[in-house]
Amino acid sequence: MSTTHPTTLPTRRGASPARYVIAGVVLVAGMALLRVFAPGDVELGDIAQDFVTLSLAVIIESIPFVFLGIGLAVVVQVWVPERVILRVLPRNPILRRMVLSLLGVLLPVCECGNVPLSRGLVMRGLTVPEAMTFLVAAPIVNPVTIITTYQAFGFDDGILIARVVGGFAIANLVGWLFSKSPDPDALLTRSFSATCKRAQDHAHDGHSGRWRRSVENFSAETTAMMPALLVGSAVAGLIQVAISRDVLVTLGSNPVISVFVLMLLAFVISVCSNVDAFFVLALGSTFLPGAIVAFLLFGPVIDIKMLALMRTTYSARTLALLNLVVGLGAATIGLAINLA
Amino acid sequence: MQRWLGVTLSLIGVVAILWLGLTGRLELYIHPRYVVFTVVMAVIGGLASIAAFLVLPTRSEHGHDHGHDHDHDELAEGPPRTGWRAAIAIAGSALLVLATVVALLVLPPATLSSATAENRDIAGSTALSSVDTTELVGGDSTTFTVKDWATLLHQGLGDDFFAGKPAAFSGFLVPTDDPDIVYVARFLVTCCAVDAQPLAVPVLYPGWRDDFAADDWVEVTGGFVPNPDAAATEPIVLMPETFDEIERPAQPYVY
Repeated sequence: MSTTHPTTLPTRRGASPARYVIAGVVLVAGMALLRVFAPGDVELGDIAQDFVTLSLAVIIESIPFVFLGIGLAVVVQVWVPERVILRVLPRNPILRRMVLSLLGVLLPVCECGNVPLSRGLVMRGLTVPEAMTFLVAAPIVNPVTIITTYQAFGFDDGILIARVVGGFAIANLVGWLFSKSPDPDALLTRSFSATCKRAQDHAHDGHSGRWRRSVENFSAETTAMMPALLVGSAVAGLIQVAISRDVLVTLGSNPVISVFVLMLLAFVISVCSNVDAFFVLALGSTFLPGAIVAFLLFGPVIDIKMLALMRTTYSARTLALLNLVVGLGAATIGLAINLA
Repeated sequence: MQRWLGVTLSLIGVVAILWLGLTGRLELYIHPRYVVFTVVMAVIGGLASIAAFLVLPTRSEHGHDHGHDHDHDELAEGPPRTGWRAAIAIAGSALLVLATVVALLVLPPATLSSATAENRDIAGSTALSSVDTTELVGGDSTTFTVKDWATLLHQGLGDDFFAGKPAAFSGFLVPTDDPDIVYVARFLVTCCAVDAQPLAVPVLYPGWRDDFAADDWVEVTGGFVPNPDAAATEPIVLMPETFDEIERPAQPYVY
């Protein structure tokens, strides 16, 4: 790890890197001491306490997947040669997006890990619509989700087939729609757009060591992802204690309303796609199959936590449009099943 | 400053996860099947964050373009800000770090309370169709958990099924509308505490509030009887023989 190389500023104030590492270790030790010696008997009210517990559950559940997603993104950006990725994909844009929507089969990360990974793919030269197709399809078209959905529902009512085929179709619809955008870069937030340009400028710059770039990418991606994850989890926890779930569940038996109720629930609950089938199964047998399919199609892509995470990357307009397309797609498939 | 935000927040999360893991309390938040994965990823994330301390002080600065508006980009890694925008960004980051430290490193870990159980439709719609009850029907009833009993009660089996089946289970207390009946409940967790579904067995205990409070953990033994109040929503209730307060168990949720 050299301290002087052409692409970086020289170390400021002459502090050696080792000193910073020691500072980091001291920081961690301080955090650990605080945790160990924190008072064990703080009494919050029930509601405040449950808000904290629910938010922490989302955070602790998501952090490992975010780290994994960032790790895979770093591998894609730094360790896999660019031409390998771009060569194996078909040239035809429609076929290309179809292949990308199957990428989740190889990289079964939960949806929160897919956000950093899709950022890595864009920085590596994929177009924004292509990365978005992956982002929408991967949480559904992946082995873990398919197995858990099968365990929960078998082939009953066509729920499994509708989920996998529907997820694939919606993802490719999203990709196709966004590919019509005259200026794909405008789909992104400005800061992420700038990060991509920077990444592409650096793509052939062999000066930085790979390990060094890996660590730099890790810290840049955590700076983007962690605040979004924390704020998103807090909002998800807050809504959980604020909205009575009874109200939602009792609306479950109407063929039309139930579809929208379960989509709303999916939005609020922010549960991972890998296990959401078990969740909706445990929730009650009163829901109609179409409503369950809508839940299973909408929830993996759009929920409070995911919106916060995706907002690091996509502009508010893009997300509103994504929300609309996925919502309409999920509702259409759900209603078709219920009313057929 | 901003460049340290990600690794700082990551390290707070990593320390909290490892401490919960070492003290056996990760299960207060997540399903046991994720514990190993979570701890391993926390270790990897922690090492990467520490490694970042080696690199960040000398990280390349170029490519940060100036002069466009970024009022909505607070969450993303933004270009360096100037003036009051910079001040707000730093204040926001500091507040976020502080709140994260309080939530993850200061407050003691806790389970969900009876307030959330009531919010989540404890009374009935939890159909539990995923549970295979055939193995319960012939099993040793004293080993049944709140989950097992709640499942069986929900199947609408008659009094004769429950007659002569002794029960012994533990859970926390959740009040019902009927002052004579208290729920002994557990949360069913499929992924993490966010998706926790309350499951409950109704216990006949007139005046329970004189001896206990909501959220107390208890160990109950007894047998099931028809509800004396025939108009009640619960046709079958547990008549307790013993009803004793216990410490919260190490695994408060069922899976």
